[in-house]
Amino acid sequence: MNTYVQAGVSGVMTGGLYAVMALGLSLTWGLLKVINLAHFALILGSAYVTYQVTTSTGADPLLSALIVVPGMFVVGVAIQWVIDRFQVDEFNSLLLSFGLFIIAIQLINNIWSADFRQIEAAENPYATRALFVGDIAFPVPQLIALGTALVLAVVTYYVLRHTYFGRALRALAYDREIAGAYGVDHRRIGMLTAGLAAAMAAVAGVLIGINQAVFPELASEWVGIVFTVVILGGVGNLPGAVAAGILIGLVYSQVSVAWEPLGAPLVVFLLLILALLFRPSGLFGRLGGS
Amino acid sequence: MKLRVPRRNTRAVVAMAFVLVGLAVAGSGASAPKQAPSGDPIVIGSTLSLTGSFGATGVIHKAAGETFVRWINANGGLLGRPVEWKLLNDESDPAKVTALYERLISQDRVDLIMGPYATPNIVAAQSVAERHGYVLPNHTAVLTYALTYGCQFPTWSAGGKPNLSVPQTVFRMLKTQGTPPKRVAFVTNTGGSTNFISYGPPSSNEGGAVDWARKQGFDVVLDLKYPPTVSDWGSIAAQVRAARPDFVWNSGLALDPVNLIQAMEQLNYRPKQFLTLFPAPGPLLGLGDAAEGVLSLTLFEPNGKLLKKMGTKAQTIVRQFAQSAAANGLGYRVFDSQATASWTAWETLAAGVRGARSLDNDQVCEYLQENGVDTTFVGKLRFNPALHNFSRPRNLVKQIQERRWKVVWPPALRVTKVQETAG
Repeated sequence: MNTYVQAGVSGVMTGGLYAVMALGLSLTWGLLKVINLAHFALILGSAYVTYQVTTSTGADPLLSALIVVPGMFVVGVAIQWVIDRFQVDEFNSLLLSFGLFIIAIQLINNIWSADFRQIEAAENPYATRALFVGDIAFPVPQLIALGTALVLAVVTYYVLRHTYFGRALRALAYDREIAGAYGVDHRRIGMLTAGLAAAMAAVAGVLIGINQAVFPELASEWVGIVFTVVILGGVGNLPGAVAAGILIGLVYSQVSVAWEPLGAPLVVFLLLILALLFRPSGLFGRLGGS
Repeated sequence: MKLRVPRRNTRAVVAMAFVLVGLAVAGSGASAPKQAPSGDPIVIGSTLSLTGSFGATGVIHKAAGETFVRWINANGGLLGRPVEWKLLNDESDPAKVTALYERLISQDRVDLIMGPYATPNIVAAQSVAERHGYVLPNHTAVLTYALTYGCQFPTWSAGGKPNLSVPQTVFRMLKTQGTPPKRVAFVTNTGGSTNFISYGPPSSNEGGAVDWARKQGFDVVLDLKYPPTVSDWGSIAAQVRAARPDFVWNSGLALDPVNLIQAMEQLNYRPKQFLTLFPAPGPLLGLGDAAEGVLSLTLFEPNGKLLKKMGTKAQTIVRQFAQSAAANGLGYRVFDSQATASWTAWETLAAGVRGARSLDNDQVCEYLQENGVDTTFVGKLRFNPALHNFSRPRNLVKQIQERRWKVVWPPALRVTKVQETAG
């Protein structure tokens, strides 16, 4: 029984990490109609910068967020500027961002090589730490990820609901032309949103950096599970993404114990197929938070 | 009283001094510079996975290959001609491996080929090599049952049945310990090579490490399989902890042991002993205390005493590899298993050409099968055609001690004894 509980806790925590990775993707897909595959490269790039800053300066790895978050915000704005400038539609945004993804991974490969990069234990106070409640461990990196996911989802939900920016963004998502007629500047709002999504990718990258070794191919490993989180959570629904991340983490961990780890991806993707068949707008509805 | 040396004797002393210095230099191994290679280069073609899922290890083979080519050209070349390496990136994709080897042989008309990195790619290259009758030395083939071409020469010295030879070595070592472990947990990546070591070849009763452990009287308390990409190591670590093994056998690849050990540490659990098959050695060392005592397999480790005993050539190669590794952006620059396998494969090809005194692939193949090769780091390799040229197993066990990998088994080759308790 203890094994199921411990595995469940680990699963929920890991789900938090998926959720942080999914938030920005869900935001741009749901509200800007941009399916941004380059989001994964931004996460990976941020993880590499976290590695580099920490190993070069010996500073706490979380402090690298001070560099990568504003840096990625600017990158996100620039990508959205290109998308707006060339009026790229939803489907073509997938192709464009796939190209950007490939270029970014090759750049990372050229800068850091294909070798594994890891913040050594001596410089990373988080990697092997956990908080304990009785026998049950709450691993610190995943705990930080879950907390971050919840805070980001709640703050974004509040902003979308209760600020001019949020209302303008939702209006744009529903009908760009009508929103424009009411004075909403879709370019500015779009770039700001894309910047925020990229900043979320940066946060995810920092959390990846303190949690594991990185290598260029790692970004491709995230695509399946993070898209599953976004779709199950409801595209554009950030609290839904967090809930979906936790649900997937929980299912994955329980299947791992009850059956075996080999069966876990099978069940998770079966869940995705069933959701697409019976609840095509996700378990929690598209744009449910807005 | 003054000692007067006759002038005639002075000349003789000077001449004798030159002779002695000359002899001393020759005796120290610093032989006179070899004649520089000349003529058209001998072109050796190959692919490596420089990007994609095998990229991190593929770069090690690139560094090792570059070191070898520089070395051989600085030492007279091959048949007096310079060697040129035509290297293409297969992006870790076996389909691309096939197409690129076809191109190297049919269009680029390379003289010789060298195998790619990782078993799936080697199997893919094998079909092209066989079709064109090229000799295929390869450094890292583990799926021995899939490599049946008569002129493929594997240099990963785990023998023709690594599913039996590897557990045989490991459990023999364990039994010599003061307190041998009793409860064994197997945690296996279902990727080809690691699955093969744990369970043996498909459609066969041969079995692998899991069966071997049971036959040797060990209590297998956990037998867990995981996919090549794992999203949650915590649930695997929880199951290992619950099984309470005193020996964990991780048939894992690259970062698997790093992730598993980290997840077990988060649960405040450290098994008494932990072995992993094919890890990325650098990141494991980066775990610090958590990885102390971890065991793995190796072909060679440049441990101080051993390397000193091997002489100048081995020391120079190890040093030059480190430089090449740095130039290729590698974080861990130690000439260990992967580099050794790579170097040995290149040595095998060169020895075949020199022995046959020809670039004719049939003759090179025949020479290697009949004579084997004397290698710098793994001794004499004899290729057994009845076992598809796999040589006798030569498995070394290494362990992280004081944050360095050290050979601990077999007794004849170890530099220190195995530590029986982790951490």
